[in-house]
Amino acid sequence: MYSTLDRQDLLDTSLRVETPEGIDLLLRPAGLVPRALAFAIDLVIRAAILLVLFFTLGLLGKFGMGLGTLLLFLVQWWYMVLFEVLNQGRTPGKYWLGLRVVHDDGTPVGWSSSLTRNLLRFVDMLPFGYFLGALSCLGHPAFKRLGDLAAGTLVIYQEKPQARPALPDVEPVAPPVALTLDEQRALIGFAERHGALSAERRQELASILAEPLGSNEEHAEAKIHGIARSLVGSS
Amino acid sequence: MQLSNASVSIRPRSPWEALDLGTLLARRHGTLLMATWAAVTLPVFALISVLLWQHPSVALLLFWWLKPLYERLPLHILSRALFGETPNFRESLKAFPGLLRSQWFASLTWRRLSMTRSFDLPVQQLEGLDGKARAQRLITLNLRNGRAASWLTVVGVHLEGALWLGLLGVLYFFLPAPLVQRWNWEDLLGLSGEWLWLEHLSNLLYVLVLIVWEPIYVACGFSLYLNRRTHLEAWDVELAFRRLRQRLLGALPAMALACGLLLWPAPHEAWAAPTAQPEAGPESKRLLNQPLTSEAAHERIDALLDQPPFQHRETVTRWRLGDADDPQQPGALARLIERLLQGGSFWHGLERLAQVLEVLLWAAVALLVALVLWRYREWLQTFGGRVRLPNRRRTEPPTQLFGLEVAPQSLPDDIATEAERLWQFDPRAALALLYRGLLCRLLHDFQLPLKAAHTEGEVLRQVHELQLEPLARFAEQLTAHWQRQAYGHDPANEQVRDALCADWRALFAEGRPS
Repeated sequence: MYSTLDRQDLLDTSLRVETPEGIDLLLRPAGLVPRALAFAIDLVIRAAILLVLFFTLGLLGKFGMGLGTLLLFLVQWWYMVLFEVLNQGRTPGKYWLGLRVVHDDGTPVGWSSSLTRNLLRFVDMLPFGYFLGALSCLGHPAFKRLGDLAAGTLVIYQEKPQARPALPDVEPVAPPVALTLDEQRALIGFAERHGALSAERRQELASILAEPLGSNEEHAEAKIHGIARSLVGSS
Repeated sequence: MQLSNASVSIRPRSPWEALDLGTLLARRHGTLLMATWAAVTLPVFALISVLLWQHPSVALLLFWWLKPLYERLPLHILSRALFGETPNFRESLKAFPGLLRSQWFASLTWRRLSMTRSFDLPVQQLEGLDGKARAQRLITLNLRNGRAASWLTVVGVHLEGALWLGLLGVLYFFLPAPLVQRWNWEDLLGLSGEWLWLEHLSNLLYVLVLIVWEPIYVACGFSLYLNRRTHLEAWDVELAFRRLRQRLLGALPAMALACGLLLWPAPHEAWAAPTAQPEAGPESKRLLNQPLTSEAAHERIDALLDQPPFQHRETVTRWRLGDADDPQQPGALARLIERLLQGGSFWHGLERLAQVLEVLLWAAVALLVALVLWRYREWLQTFGGRVRLPNRRRTEPPTQLFGLEVAPQSLPDDIATEAERLWQFDPRAALALLYRGLLCRLLHDFQLPLKAAHTEGEVLRQVHELQLEPLARFAEQLTAHWQRQAYGHDPANEQVRDALCADWRALFAEGRPS
């Protein structure tokens, strides 16, 4: 029998954070692969900036070299911090991959935590090429590297608003029984994804519910679509 | 395959999230995966190294080339573990030789450098497809996940390199300094045979890196494959539908049983005995014959409410400046007083004394106020009048009462004369004029707080409260005549007119107030 206790045991990538108002926020921490790619993009951008600086300031002789060293420091240590704090936790690389940095409780990242997590990159890089950071990221349930652990931050997938898929055009039917939220979602999900499923698979899925809904196997699919439409409402 | 037995939460995810799920999956079964991987690869590596001792690079290349074969074991374990049938170490190793046979040649030749190796493996191993069927299946599956699978391999290659170099760095730190000083370029390029063991050691480090990374790589590919099938076949919908079916169909027999039990004629003895204590309240002890009595339940609830998150307690330890002088002496004094007060009678006496003192103190306060007032009485008489509160304006009197215009501006100066004149052709208007005049006077001369909501009867009652006998009588008569005229359309006669006008003049002879 299905129960909520079983469900907690299931392996899942989302993290539930409860706000003081008693609302559950679902955060989806991002793992090593997208984060590594985001870092690579940032690395390329930083290299490009430094290359341009090197060539332009190289014309200024020794003064330019001094200035360049200062700017090198700025770009190297402040690129991530400035972008994260001023751009809602997203550097260009993270923006590209749809990631953002937040605190553990889902609040936007601040100066102190961003500085901590980025200064501790130095530790993550030890002894070479993010050795410790990668191992920590692979081993932590929320995919944190050491800097994230110290700063109490989390890299999560940015929620993107999605266009509501069109439901099949059928007459709405009132559900014959009271449905829980999960069940309503499943029915609506079935109707929304009807384009992505093959006709045989749809029939197979609908026939599971043919008997409980008091319908035969041929009309079960249309009936589920109708129930989904009535659940979604007119929009 | 029973979806309801799955140990992961099945829902459609983005490809990146599917990779994350793979990482978690590998983490959950990490010990078994790494142990079996090590048990398979370490002997193979040892064998290859011994055979090719003179050519460490070739040995590493050969070991690396055989990777697709080792990867079949983690996938086998994961596919069983997904539905809760995790094999143990011995079973896994026993199954390994059987996994190697199928399509080994293709895996090691033209498919060896495929970018989506870990994603393709489940199709080949779990679905057992080959040739054209496999290719077609992969095209279907790769429609949306292909990029993530390739990126997984790209990141994997770099990660292997980074981890390997990291371990080499650690190794370098551990090498004794004299050994490092003897290095020269010739040695490092592997031209002399003296340093072969070091190269094999670095090869070993690569094998160790793979123990950590490869199970994750295979698990990520597997979870990508699962995610794609979840998308294509709506596994999550199927799971939810099956649960709904179970709930709906499972509920029917239970309901029938419940109905049957309700209708079953219960023998009288089975009914609950009337409660012995009718005054039993929520605080009284209940459930005394149960394993969990109400008292025990209360205690447990209280204990639970005493813990987080219901209670938040913390102990704060801080440094403070020490209070050097006061603790000793007052301590002794306080103890003395306490001992004195502990006698019961003394305590009672003290309480009464306190009451007397309280009365005396309040009396003193009252006396003081009176004295101050007496002392400054002249000053108050002189200046008190000026400091009076600003005149609080009454709310503006209404200009209309039950549809009648009662503002003074809307009325003629001499109402009685005007009424007599009107009476000749419109007695109703004349009576209305008189009544309006009365209301106007009540509002403005007598300051009656009339409102539009008052009825004629209520107005009369308020007039009576003024205790002015002639006015009350006049108002009574006028109201009666007016009501008869207004609602009954019964016009009053000449005597009434004369009497009313005379009364009006008698009452309000001095004319309109300005």
